[in-house]
Amino acid sequence: MKRNVAIISVGYNGRFVSKRPDINIPELIQPAVDNAIGKTKLKHDQIDAYVVGNMHTFEGINQPHLWASDHFGGSKKPVMRIATGGSTGASVYQAAYYHVASGLYDVVMAIGWEKHDEGDAQVGLMGILLPEAFSMFNFGPDMSEDRGIAGLGGGGSTGGAAFQAMSYLTKAHAGIEHIDRVAAMMRSNAAKNPYAHLQQPGCTEADIAKTPIISYPLRYGHTCPTSCGAIAMILVSEEKAKKFGITDRVAWVKGLGSGASDATTGNIIEGQITDPAEQYMCKVVSKKVYSMAGIKDPRKDIQVAEVYSGFSHQDLMWPERLGLVDEGKSPQMLDNGSFAIDGELPLNPSGGVTSTNAIGASAMVRVGEAALQVMGLAEGGHQVQRKIENVVAHGWGGLFQFVTVTVLGRTPVKK
Amino acid sequence: MTQETRIIENTWDLTAYQWKIESDALDLYVKGLKDKKILGRKCHKCGTVYVPGPTYCRKCFIDIDKVVEVAQEGVLDAFTVNIADVKGNLIEHPYITCTVKLDGTHSFLMGILEGWTDWRSVKEGMRIKVVWKDVTQGALADLSHFQLI
Amino acid sequence: MNERVAVVGYKQTKHTFDSPVARERMIYELVKSLFKDLGITRDDIDTFIFASNDFTDGRTISEVYTVPRIGSFMKDETKVEADGLSAALYAYMRILSGLYETALVIGFSMAGSEFRVPLTQAYSLDPVYERPRGIINYYSTSALQASAYMKKYKFTEEDLARLTVKNLQNANNNPYAARKEPTASVEDVLNSKPLYLPIRQAHVSAYADGACAVILSSKKAAKKFTDKPVWIDGVGHFMDTYYIGDRDLLAMEHLSAAAKKAYKMAGIKNPKKEIDLAELHTNFASEEPVFAEAMGLFKPGSGKDVVKNGESGIDGAMPVNPSGGPIGANPINATGLIRLAEASEQLRKEAGKNKVKGAKTAVVHAQDGPGAQLNTVFVVRR
Repeated sequence: MKRNVAIISVGYNGRFVSKRPDINIPELIQPAVDNAIGKTKLKHDQIDAYVVGNMHTFEGINQPHLWASDHFGGSKKPVMRIATGGSTGASVYQAAYYHVASGLYDVVMAIGWEKHDEGDAQVGLMGILLPEAFSMFNFGPDMSEDRGIAGLGGGGSTGGAAFQAMSYLTKAHAGIEHIDRVAAMMRSNAAKNPYAHLQQPGCTEADIAKTPIISYPLRYGHTCPTSCGAIAMILVSEEKAKKFGITDRVAWVKGLGSGASDATTGNIIEGQITDPAEQYMCKVVSKKVYSMAGIKDPRKDIQVAEVYSGFSHQDLMWPERLGLVDEGKSPQMLDNGSFAIDGELPLNPSGGVTSTNAIGASAMVRVGEAALQVMGLAEGGHQVQRKIENVVAHGWGGLFQFVTVTVLGRTPVKK
Repeated sequence: MTQETRIIENTWDLTAYQWKIESDALDLYVKGLKDKKILGRKCHKCGTVYVPGPTYCRKCFIDIDKVVEVAQEGVLDAFTVNIADVKGNLIEHPYITCTVKLDGTHSFLMGILEGWTDWRSVKEGMRIKVVWKDVTQGALADLSHFQLI
Repeated sequence: MNERVAVVGYKQTKHTFDSPVARERMIYELVKSLFKDLGITRDDIDTFIFASNDFTDGRTISEVYTVPRIGSFMKDETKVEADGLSAALYAYMRILSGLYETALVIGFSMAGSEFRVPLTQAYSLDPVYERPRGIINYYSTSALQASAYMKKYKFTEEDLARLTVKNLQNANNNPYAARKEPTASVEDVLNSKPLYLPIRQAHVSAYADGACAVILSSKKAAKKFTDKPVWIDGVGHFMDTYYIGDRDLLAMEHLSAAAKKAYKMAGIKNPKKEIDLAELHTNFASEEPVFAEAMGLFKPGSGKDVVKNGESGIDGAMPVNPSGGPIGANPINATGLIRLAEASEQLRKEAGKNKVKGAKTAVVHAQDGPGAQLNTVFVVRR
């Protein structure tokens, strides 16, 4: 017997932006918490427990939830901190789910955030590889000027993503224009989401194509911004949802799972055996999650997808790896309008990660946006108007290696 | 809300750490490079060949110690073309960084790809070979680049 | 849903101040030998949970390279960024939910050799008011607590030294402990280097390189692993407010709340009678009486008598840290998990020289944050 869990509220601190010099981390989190609680009839002290997370090396503050506990309401309450890189937000949400599903707690809040203006994201990312890179220097790499980090045998973050993008394009028989097109779609979707960071109404393929190439086939316009923002969600048990009299406008957690492979693209110390372009774990985990959610054919039974794409080509890749689209068919789906908000399979109506990326929040924003779509509460014109039964939310992190998948739906899975 | 903010300068001091890194795989790999050989380790149970080769198998979760020399030819797996610097200015000589899979291995190696004139004609799956520096000294730099065949 | 969850396997490294191997090798060897002991493979584990911290590892996303080293390559894996007992708590929840039957929890750090612990601790302080001034830190917070306790309850420096020696002797008999000071006397402790008085160097836990792995399982799956399961019958965790000035460092109300919750779950009405031993995560020797009393193991303010009568000794009425506790080894992130492993070993009657006779129920504790801001409590039974 499984205990059913529902997301009853999703709150943001406000619009995601580049810089918030007026506030600190606790002050960034608090409005998101208040917003999530304010949308319900709950009071702060009715939250039984908190699960929180961010990528704390980005701001240089170790376990900032300790310092922030008074602001989010965690003092005198159970608090657990989860962090798994880019997938942090989704991992936090999953832990909140288990707080309720275990039967230990009934009303749990999940919070994810990042305040990117307080640190250098590139330095933070470099911190992944730094010890290994230092070690490589002992083995005489070729660091002559034109080689750069390639001399180390690694590609860095964008470098690794570019390998993946090239692989994807080759396999899907697609071109850079498809990446431009999907990037433009995300920025214009973002314009309909009042919380999104890079909002560009009517952004076109040509607008993106004007941005400089970083590492072919990836352009500046294919990458994500570094945002400041926080998200908070409230998860409750089925019994509590009934007790609160709120079973209609909630999103039921129908399936969830996570997986890890070895570090790919950057595993310069020991041979990596996982192909970063294949993302095998995404296929394995999504299959498991669909089966848990009672979904036989994800193409029919899932109406909307929120995927985590740090780089725009991934917006084409993930729907295929998640089993929503045939291998190599995403460019076609994009071209025939299927991925649009009014299309057959709306993809990231929120504008996705390439429009907004506060890392510790991003993977939870996917889940939160999925929940809002199910509840019919997405604001500012990015609500999908078709009837929605199920939405899939995806998270991604580590060195191309972690994946999280969840399916939210209008009705709970029958016990 | 006030607009006045005090910025506190602080750091996460990475130089404060003295990391220990396991280097079995790189030690073996670099030793091989001196003799213009590519060495890795093979799992005796599942047959996976790792280059550089750690002393355990990720799939079987067992110790492995079988050292193997692998081929110096293989296929181009993925690549990216560096045609501009980070500010978007085109650079004079674009270069390709790539991952390759040498024949008989299950892992990827990264490096520079040469032997092409127009990068648009480079395709995944093309055959490549290892090119050595003239003088090898047991360093990562001994493997100069991968060359399209 | 699963009704009962057990500790079915555990293992810790021999902790050291300068590990001869890197963290990757350390945790690989540990998990491999645990699997070997139990006669299982990595496929017998449903979910893997790390306890590590990017700051103590000195790496962003610290588990990037360690994932395959615990057998979680291509498996379900996640990370709790807190002490290992929090990770065990998460594993416990996952199994209770019924979605998993087995879980491997691992905590580790290289706190002995790779970094200076006070530095990573300083990174977790309020960066605006506290970190730059360097007055409030983990040491000074605990010193304030110690001094408050000593003053209020006439607990003397000698009492504190005696308590430290008790733990050092226990650690000396613990094969896994890093700190071995068999000849340490009360005088030695009293004469050790003053840091933040009343805290002296000898009172500080032994920050070490080390790891601990624990396997949890549902009742249904437990038989596959062992015929001596140790049941987790109660859990509780609570966070205190952050600012030291806002806290009651003596009452430790949040720790009391965590313990009460765990006792209630386990059906324990009188912890003094019903609990046979305690394994506490103390960063400083002075925390022991404060924590133990907050958890209802001794009468408030009884620290002096407890030390005098040897009540917290291995043969006492309520043995506290028969393993020596973190005074013997404190590999951050693993320390609370080690408490669970040590308690399980006692309940299974497998503890060596430090065996507590007739132990059937134990309480296990872990902390995080300055002055034990976040506390986790488990009640375990054989």
